[in-house]
Amino acid sequence: MAYSDKVLDHYNNPRNAGSLDRNDPNVGTGMVGAPECGDVMKLQLKVNPESGVIEEARFKTFGCGSAIASSSLATEWLKGRTIEQALAIKNTDIVSELSLPPVKIHCSVLAEDAIRAAINDYKRKTAPGAEGR
Amino acid sequence: MFCPHCNALLCPPGGYFEIFGMEPRLEIAREDLERRFYQLSRQLHPDRFARRPAVERQYSLDAAAILNDAYRVLRDPARRAEYLLNEVPAAAGDRPPVPAELLEEIFEMNMAIESLRGGDQGARPQLAAAQERFLSMRREAGQALEELFDEFDRTHDDAVCSRIRLLLGRRRFIENLIRDVEKELAR
Repeated sequence: MAYSDKVLDHYNNPRNAGSLDRNDPNVGTGMVGAPECGDVMKLQLKVNPESGVIEEARFKTFGCGSAIASSSLATEWLKGRTIEQALAIKNTDIVSELSLPPVKIHCSVLAEDAIRAAINDYKRKTAPGAEGR
Repeated sequence: MFCPHCNALLCPPGGYFEIFGMEPRLEIAREDLERRFYQLSRQLHPDRFARRPAVERQYSLDAAAILNDAYRVLRDPARRAEYLLNEVPAAAGDRPPVPAELLEEIFEMNMAIESLRGGDQGARPQLAAAQERFLSMRREAGQALEELFDEFDRTHDDAVCSRIRLLLGRRRFIENLIRDVEKELAR
């Protein structure tokens, strides 16, 4: 199957590949996977505690080109957004940006799930009373 | 499968339980299935139809093929459950969730594979240990699955059915991992 140019670009030049310190209280980590294909995606974001804006995002994905591109794009979009704005990112936005074919839509779903998981982790860590848990 | 009057071989049924003459149930006795398989294999063997009309010869070929497929599927508890529940690969959106602790394990395994490919032989024992854990996870998932069979057969309860589907998804995931690691360790 042919990948779109944008998928190839993210695949060949992944943005924000790598990881952040998951023990940092301002870092949220989302780990998700697709049972069928065995893809796993780790997405991390770091929130500025003063402004509430995501200032760093990283990903590491083991999977097909579309899964890598979806998570790479997600980290690009996350930076500079607030948590609320980040939650507005929908998998369909990723699908249209990367021109993903129907059989690869689950890759974008995975990326959306990863964003949500990372945000949930961040919220859990920063919730009142979470300190020292 | 044979005409009660003239004993001619009839068109074989395509259903896996049907060809064995069994009720569609998740819990079946392995020995019973095996006994039926050998008995039917003998009865339907194409050699026995060499001098029969062409249509019967064709039926015996078809029946032998269905019988073999059916045996392969029904004797494996997970594949039997997939067949009976008409389990199709999940579409996006209704994917069974993968337990978080498994994800960490998979992620670490992939990191080890990457180091190994990068020439770091130190990752090999790490990967072998991961494989051991996956194999025991597969055993556990298989056992958990079979423990639900009897309950499903008795009640056909939706909740039991969902639990079975969840375990089937988990087991397929583990299966993929085992295959990946095997390939990697064999390099």
